[in-house]
Amino acid sequence: MTRKNLGRATLAALPFVLAFLIHLILFIVLKDRLPTRLAGHFDVSGDANGYVDRTAYVLATAPVLPVLGAVWVLMVVRGRMYGRAHSLLIGGGWALAAFLQYVLGAALIVNLDTPEGGPAGSFPMWHLAVAFGVAALAGAVGLLLTRLVPAPEDPDAGKGPADRERIVLADGEVAGWARTTGAWWTPVGALVLAATATGFGYGGNWYVGTALLALTLLVLAFSRAHVTVDRRGLTVSGLLPWPRVQVPLERIESADSRQVNAVAEFGGWGYRIRPGRTGFIVRSGEAIVARQTGGREFAVTVEDSATGAALLNTLVDRNRAGR
Amino acid sequence: MLFRLDPTSTVPLGDQIAASVRRAVADSTVTPGERLPAARVLAESLGVNVHTVLRGYQRLREEGLIELRRGRGAVVTAGASPRRAQLLERVREVVADARELGMTEEELLTLVRAELST
Repeated sequence: MTRKNLGRATLAALPFVLAFLIHLILFIVLKDRLPTRLAGHFDVSGDANGYVDRTAYVLATAPVLPVLGAVWVLMVVRGRMYGRAHSLLIGGGWALAAFLQYVLGAALIVNLDTPEGGPAGSFPMWHLAVAFGVAALAGAVGLLLTRLVPAPEDPDAGKGPADRERIVLADGEVAGWARTTGAWWTPVGALVLAATATGFGYGGNWYVGTALLALTLLVLAFSRAHVTVDRRGLTVSGLLPWPRVQVPLERIESADSRQVNAVAEFGGWGYRIRPGRTGFIVRSGEAIVARQTGGREFAVTVEDSATGAALLNTLVDRNRAGR
Repeated sequence: MLFRLDPTSTVPLGDQIAASVRRAVADSTVTPGERLPAARVLAESLGVNVHTVLRGYQRLREEGLIELRRGRGAVVTAGASPRRAQLLERVREVVADARELGMTEEELLTLVRAELST
C-alpha cells in the first residue's frame, strides 16, 4: 500500500473506529444503570415492542461498525473511485458511522434507569431527526478532511474513444448482442426474503411484509437477467419486459470490458448505486462498463463482455454519425 | 452472443439468426449447456418478429445444435461441438455452390453418396 493509500484508508476507517470505541465506552460506563433486558425495537410512535438481552445487544451491534469500516477501506483502496466520487465515498462513510453510532447510543440512553422488567423507556422519534443531523455534520467533516489527502486520478481519463475495440459492420447491417446472466444465490436470496416477508406478515407487520414481498418479486424477476446491446443501447431486463434498466446509446460515451470487484467497487451485490457509478452486479469478474456523458459509469457483470462492449462502441459511433 | 442481420440479403432473417448462432458455436463463444437469449428478448433487440427468431431456433434444433424445452428455452446441446457447427456451415456452402452450378438435388446426393462409399 502506498503512503497516499494509507492516508486514504485511515481517513475511511477513522469514523467507524471512533464510533465503535464510543459505543463500547458508552456501554461500559452505563452498564450498571441498564436493565438486563433492553428495549431494542420500537414501533412508529416510539414505544418499545421488542426486547433483547443486554450483552446480546452489544455483541450483535458492535461488530457492525468494524465490518462496515473494513468494507469502506476496501472500497477506498481497491474500489477504483476517483476524484469527486472518492471524496463522496469517504464523506458518506463518516455520515453512516455517525448515524449508526447515534442511533445505537440513543437506544442505550433511553433504557437508562428503567426498573428491571418494568415498562421500558420509549424512543422519541426526534432522536432519528437528530441522528440525520449528526450524520450530515459528520459527512461534512469527512468531506473537509478529504482535502488533506488528494483523491486518486482516473488512470483511464486520457483514454480516447478511438483506443477501444470495435466490430466491423457493413452499412445497414443490423447487429445485436444478447446474453443471459444470473447467479446461484438469487433464487436463494428470493427464498430467504419470501420467508422473512411471511414472518413479518404473520407478526401483523403488514407494511414491512408487503415491502419485502415486492422486493422478493423483484429479485425473482431478475434471477435470470437478459443483457442486450443493440440499436436502443445497453439494456438489462428480467423475466418480464418490465421493469428494466436501460442506458440509451445517446447517453453513452464509450464502453469497456473489465474485471470488477463486487465488494470493493460496489460495496456488495445486486442493483447498486454508488458515487459516480451504477451497477447490476451478480458476481465479481468481467463486466461491460459503459461510460455515460457526464462521467457516470454503468456496469453490468456478464460473460463475453468484450464482444458486448465492442459492439456498444460500434453502435455509439454509428449513432453519432447519424445513420 | 453476437447476432448480425443483413436486411438487404436474400437469405431469410430466420436463417441469418441461425447462422449467427452456428458461428458462435463454431468459434466457441457459446458452449454446450448454455442458454440462447429468449426469443422475445432477441426479437425486441433486433427489431424482428418473434416468429422469425423462433423459425431460426427451429432450424438449429433440426440441425441438432440446440434443444427447445418448455420453460427452459433454447439450450445448446451437449453434442454441439465447434467442429460440428463448422461442418454444418460447410454443408450449407456446398449446397449453395451446387445450386449456383445448377445441379439438381439428385445429382448432389449422388456425389455425396459416392464420396461416402469410398
